[in-house]
Amino acid sequence: MNPVRRFFDTHRHHFEPGGRLARFGFLYENIESVFFAPAAVTAAAPQVRDTLDVKRYMFLVIVALVPHYAFGVFNVGYQAHRAAGLPPEFGSVIAVGLKAVVPMVVVTYAVGYFWEALFATVRKHEISEGLFVSCALFPLTLPPTQPLWQVALGISFGIVIGKEIFGGTGRNFLNPALTGRAFLYFAYPAQTSGDAVWTLLLPGRAAPVDAFTAATPLSLAALTESGGIPQAWAEAGYDLWTLFLGLYPDAIGASSTLLCLVGALFLITVGVADWRIIAGDLLGVLGTAAAIRLLAGPGAAPYLLLDPWLHLLVGGAAFGIAYMTTDPVSAPALPRARVAYGFFIGALTVLIRVFNPAFPEGIGIAILFMNCFAPLLDDLELRRRLKRRLSHVR
Amino acid sequence: MDRLHAKNGFTLRIGGRPAATLDTPAAPRRVAAVAGRLPFLKPRLAVKPGDRVKIGSLLFADKRRPELRFLSPGGGCVSAVNFGPRRRLQEVVIDLDEEEEAEEFPRLDEADLQAIDPAELGRRIVAGGLWSLIRELPFREPPALDRRPPAVVVFLDNLEPFHPDPRVYLAGRLERLRFGLRVLERLTGRPPVVTACAGGAETIAEVAPLLSCVVAGRYPAHDPGVLLYRRLGRPEERAAWMVAGPDLLLIAEFLQEGRHPTRRVIALGGPGASPPGHLEVRLGAPLAELAAGREVSGEPLRYVAGGVLTGTAASADSFLALPEEALTLLPEGARPGGFLEWMLPGRRKPSYSRAFLSSWHPAASYPMDCNRHGGIRACIQCAFCARVCPVDILPQLTYKAVLAGETEEALAHGLLDCVECGLCSLVCPSKIELLQALRQAKEAFRAEMD
Repeated sequence: MNPVRRFFDTHRHHFEPGGRLARFGFLYENIESVFFAPAAVTAAAPQVRDTLDVKRYMFLVIVALVPHYAFGVFNVGYQAHRAAGLPPEFGSVIAVGLKAVVPMVVVTYAVGYFWEALFATVRKHEISEGLFVSCALFPLTLPPTQPLWQVALGISFGIVIGKEIFGGTGRNFLNPALTGRAFLYFAYPAQTSGDAVWTLLLPGRAAPVDAFTAATPLSLAALTESGGIPQAWAEAGYDLWTLFLGLYPDAIGASSTLLCLVGALFLITVGVADWRIIAGDLLGVLGTAAAIRLLAGPGAAPYLLLDPWLHLLVGGAAFGIAYMTTDPVSAPALPRARVAYGFFIGALTVLIRVFNPAFPEGIGIAILFMNCFAPLLDDLELRRRLKRRLSHVR
Repeated sequence: MDRLHAKNGFTLRIGGRPAATLDTPAAPRRVAAVAGRLPFLKPRLAVKPGDRVKIGSLLFADKRRPELRFLSPGGGCVSAVNFGPRRRLQEVVIDLDEEEEAEEFPRLDEADLQAIDPAELGRRIVAGGLWSLIRELPFREPPALDRRPPAVVVFLDNLEPFHPDPRVYLAGRLERLRFGLRVLERLTGRPPVVTACAGGAETIAEVAPLLSCVVAGRYPAHDPGVLLYRRLGRPEERAAWMVAGPDLLLIAEFLQEGRHPTRRVIALGGPGASPPGHLEVRLGAPLAELAAGREVSGEPLRYVAGGVLTGTAASADSFLALPEEALTLLPEGARPGGFLEWMLPGRRKPSYSRAFLSSWHPAASYPMDCNRHGGIRACIQCAFCARVCPVDILPQLTYKAVLAGETEEALAHGLLDCVECGLCSLVCPSKIELLQALRQAKEAFRAEMD
């Protein structure tokens, strides 16, 4: 017999009614169900049910995020070595990356799981797997220098205020990971924004070497006053391939447009992400950027004239589009509302980036903003659909 | 002839499709008239244990609607009257005599049919205890006797796994089918709309001329509710009647022979049936005897009276109810999944979604069981239910309206168009009982209308 199975079988009686840990029965069930699907059978028609459950659904998102973690570990170490002027030796790059990323992930999961388990035990329902996705997304959006206590605080805010007080996964209207991220942004701007936070400094160093540009492509784009932004990026060492691969100082795992593209295609293929949202997002970003470029005319600020598709190469736009906008819970439910939702997110992202110097990146705020409007978009489409529908009740 | 392409829907790839064979199981020693699985019925008993009955004697009738009469499927002695929870009548069991006697009813031939008064024809079907085989949309309950329907739909195919194949149940009974169609025309004053599914009854050369509509599409394209939703737009047209092909044969047989029918063709299928096939059985036969010798061994089985998606779990000690055309045997599957099985690619996991490898290389069928395959969660708005719904309901929103008690809103969503196919519950990854919620809302609304 499987040793894990044996472990659960030998300890089950403590958690059953009358056992000394009976009050934690829910917790036991929750942990067991991670390893072994429950034996429950149907009690009503239809007598058979689909093999897909929420656990599998959410697990596929985590699968899509695994490459981002691998990339994030590498990039954090790589940028740290570059900032120190050291040759990026693979082993030491990975070691530095792991040392920065693993504690953040461990803290996120431990704290997130604590809150979820607390609410699940009090409410006597099972732990919903949405938690594991939120906890997988959250560290990827943080700078590698974020203090761990802030990580713990951020995920607590995201899980408790973004989700649990509304009833848990499925009843939240904001994306919990982004809620936590936004909390940190506004509560601790010193550790969450500016150019310095995106690069980890190796021990014993107070500042990067002179040859290293710590500025992110986004802040470069916002600061460029004349000439083309691509040239400014090139001078800082960011050619388009570097940007596409994501090898620049940024949030831990959100910078690689390549991996976001792969992840989005994977999620669409397995039917977890709705292509309508992503299509709307792209339409919003490209359409708005193109419209701004058209209206601005020659001589305007370079950011207004940026090639629309370059918006997708820098910052967190691609990551937000692939993983945050496609969260079905905080998005609208109906197909056309989803396209509109995506479009407005894309449009707002570009508008915030280009016109608001206080926010170098706009996608997080844009998504949270549109989360609030998702029910309205649903309502508009629902009214239109119901009008077409004949009623039995006259 | 009208051809309709039904939208949405889903064809479940479940193993155990009945072969086109027809066997006759050994004659049962006792039969029963079942009341427990007919949800619309409030039965009042007309017999007590020890009474002698003939084939066609009244056993029980509905308290509020005396036209819903249920007659004895056999001749002999009432040996038991079984009650279920809250003293609801489950079944009246009859030990059969060697030589069964039968009540005689007036016979109806072709000439009589042209002359008979439609109201009298209706009363004869009522007297024969077969009125409950005619059902009225949207509530799918037997219609009031005096009602004139806007349309009557006879559906010869049933795509739900697994129902009798028309090539089997119609074999040698075409003349009876034609007679049944003329009965319905006389009864309702308009020719019935006869439907078949693409590749189903339409492939029978003699049936093709009778058809008014062929529906192509996935389950539940056969359902008259789908046709009504797509073709008959006006609200008053939607109170149509529906009669299943096999049930129409019973009505026709009763009128022609002047005796309550005693036999019908059922499908015995499902992954627990070996070999699956068609059976010509006594009405009211014990389920265990129908499945005898054809059960897969080594696993507890669930007996489902009806199909996999809309059928009701029944005890093996129960009997075949009058309108039931199928007995499905499903493995219970009440065991935990394998170690981290949900993380595996899932080459052999059937799913509506594309979340398993099986979607790219689907097998012809899968040995599905009654396991729920997951814990109950809140709705995550995956919208799978809306994508399978054959009548464009948005179950993920409608069930919330139902739970909030917003009946008007649920009605506006199309609650009454629901064909109760069960696909929304089937595909839900959160394992929400959507079908139950919508059915109960419909029932509550109907109760309010009374």
